[in-house]
Amino acid sequence: MMKARIALTIFLGALALTTASRPDGVVHAARLAADTQQDEFALALSNVSTHPHIGLPNFVLSGGGADQGTAATTIADVLWGDINFEREYDMIPRARSASIPVAPPAALPFDQWSDLGADFVLTGAARFTSATAVTIELRLIGIKGAARGKEYFAMQYDCGLQTARGSRDCAHAIADDFHKQKRNLDGVARTKLAFSSNRDALRVTGRPTSTAGQGKEIYLSDYDGANQLRFTVNRSLNINPSWSPSGSALAYTSYTTGFPDIYVANLAEPGRALARPAHGNEEVQNQLPAWSPDGSKLAFMSNRSGNNDIWIVNRDGTDLHNLTNTPSANDGAPTWSPDGGKLAFTSDRTGSNQLYVVTAAGTGLQRLPINQKIDRPTWSRLNFIAFTIETSSGHDIAIYDFNNPGVKILTDGVGSNESPAIAPNGRHIAFVTTRWGRKQLAIIDRTGQNIQKITEVGDNEHPTWQPFATK
Amino acid sequence: MKRLVLIPFLALFVAAACGGKKPPVPVAPPPFLNASAPGGGSDTVTSRPPDPPPVPRDSVVASRPLSDPYSGKDVKDINDNSPLKAIYFLYDSDQLDDTAKKVLASNADVLKQYATWVVTVEGHCDERGTAEYNLALGDRRALAVRNYMLTLGVGAERLRTVSYGKEFPFDPGHDETAWSHNRRAHFMLTSK
Repeated sequence: MMKARIALTIFLGALALTTASRPDGVVHAARLAADTQQDEFALALSNVSTHPHIGLPNFVLSGGGADQGTAATTIADVLWGDINFEREYDMIPRARSASIPVAPPAALPFDQWSDLGADFVLTGAARFTSATAVTIELRLIGIKGAARGKEYFAMQYDCGLQTARGSRDCAHAIADDFHKQKRNLDGVARTKLAFSSNRDALRVTGRPTSTAGQGKEIYLSDYDGANQLRFTVNRSLNINPSWSPSGSALAYTSYTTGFPDIYVANLAEPGRALARPAHGNEEVQNQLPAWSPDGSKLAFMSNRSGNNDIWIVNRDGTDLHNLTNTPSANDGAPTWSPDGGKLAFTSDRTGSNQLYVVTAAGTGLQRLPINQKIDRPTWSRLNFIAFTIETSSGHDIAIYDFNNPGVKILTDGVGSNESPAIAPNGRHIAFVTTRWGRKQLAIIDRTGQNIQKITEVGDNEHPTWQPFATK
Repeated sequence: MKRLVLIPFLALFVAAACGGKKPPVPVAPPPFLNASAPGGGSDTVTSRPPDPPPVPRDSVVASRPLSDPYSGKDVKDINDNSPLKAIYFLYDSDQLDDTAKKVLASNADVLKQYATWVVTVEGHCDERGTAEYNLALGDRRALAVRNYMLTLGVGAERLRTVSYGKEFPFDPGHDETAWSHNRRAHFMLTSK
């Protein structure tokens, strides 16, 4: 305890010098105490039959006014959601613990938390050094038995809160750090989704009024659906975005010329001209882009040989060549294996859409033993493929695991479920569902549990999940 | 001397070239045809006056019926109320049935009448199949229509195709009525 207090004092001194120009939402993390009882925590985890129950009360506030208090509550709410999302802990809903007095670690109402079933409490002290800068000291404190009062995690995070999204970004960074430290887990709290939506209901330019003619634009959002914003603005159809492996570019299909072609947009330089590596025109049409894992190539569906086949091109538009060539069948929806050595795609060459795997050189074609119609395979870096499968009730999301071959259907047959996108840690799948009426994005755990609604407005489709940024 | 001779010819040429909105060589139909009932007249005609003299070819700029409803309209106006009709498909099919073929024959006649029109055949699908599969199905539908139009004598350079899959439904409903409207090949005039 003494050691921790000394360490804290040192950090406080350093803090006064460093908080002046902190970028928005960016977190600087520092360990508060070197002697947190990691081993005992691990022991506590392994000894409970279910995941440990963790409470997360409001932070103890100092400095700042009402706005800062709101920001601190947002950070706690979002942090709760982020930790809950990875299902490593059984998070006690914050509403249930709202009546327990907020207190520093030493003064925690241990009995009240124990009555609520908490094994641990994640307590925070939020100290505002300016209106837009906060330092959060986060500690995980044991509640029950021998663990009572012991500290299992102690970190200090400095967050900038210049814009409305700063609080959420601060929480996301803390959650990812917490998961990494306590579980060696790559959390996805800082990742984003891209998708297509007609929510702005803009009529496509030049369409007759007798048609619905509603355009679709590409939108971005945080993984949890917050901060949704429009990315394309061209009053056309923009569909099937695909996030580049480095996270810095989006490839997508746009009908801006009247014919579908693949466009590559650089997210870091939104003003930069779009690239069209697949060289589409009125005759040659390209759809469904998929990045190779090293980001150097795109596979896509193209009708340039008279019917739809899989083609591959370098990102810079060179070395265009076909991967498949089946004049009497449609091959589509390519996706790359984690090492880039193979691709999976759909083909109706046997009469119905089936899942095939072939090497990137076009050799060694094999059909995976899934006998229902399938679509939109997406190959996870954890070596399973998620896809849409036709079932008796419509469409559902399923996975084929190469480590344990077989098909597992994840969704429950409610509404139509299609177009899966896998989180970069392989633990979650975003997809399109009509279970709530219009087409909305939802996320389901890879276990088939915990369906969570991500979008609310308009029809939302074609999700792609941002990969972890490569170093 | 030369210049004086040329002037009347130039004047004639300019007059013909500028007459785009009017038929350059008006030919009145024979009066008895106007008097007979529409559609029933030709069978009963047993004699007719001699044909008018052939029109010199190099003086024709463009010919179109006097009552051409599309001469003053732009592409969007025509697409709003198009003489080119959509055809419809069965679920998950790109087959042209007899009804579709009749409509396509009528569309081919329109395209022969308006020889400068270029159209895009759009393949559309209902919402029941998967999004990605429907992109290919829409392509197959548009190509089936294009190939049939080629057999009817419409020039290949006048028929473009595009697939919209299920991304661009005409009818936003979620029942068989809406689905049957959305399983279509739609003709869009691209230029005239």
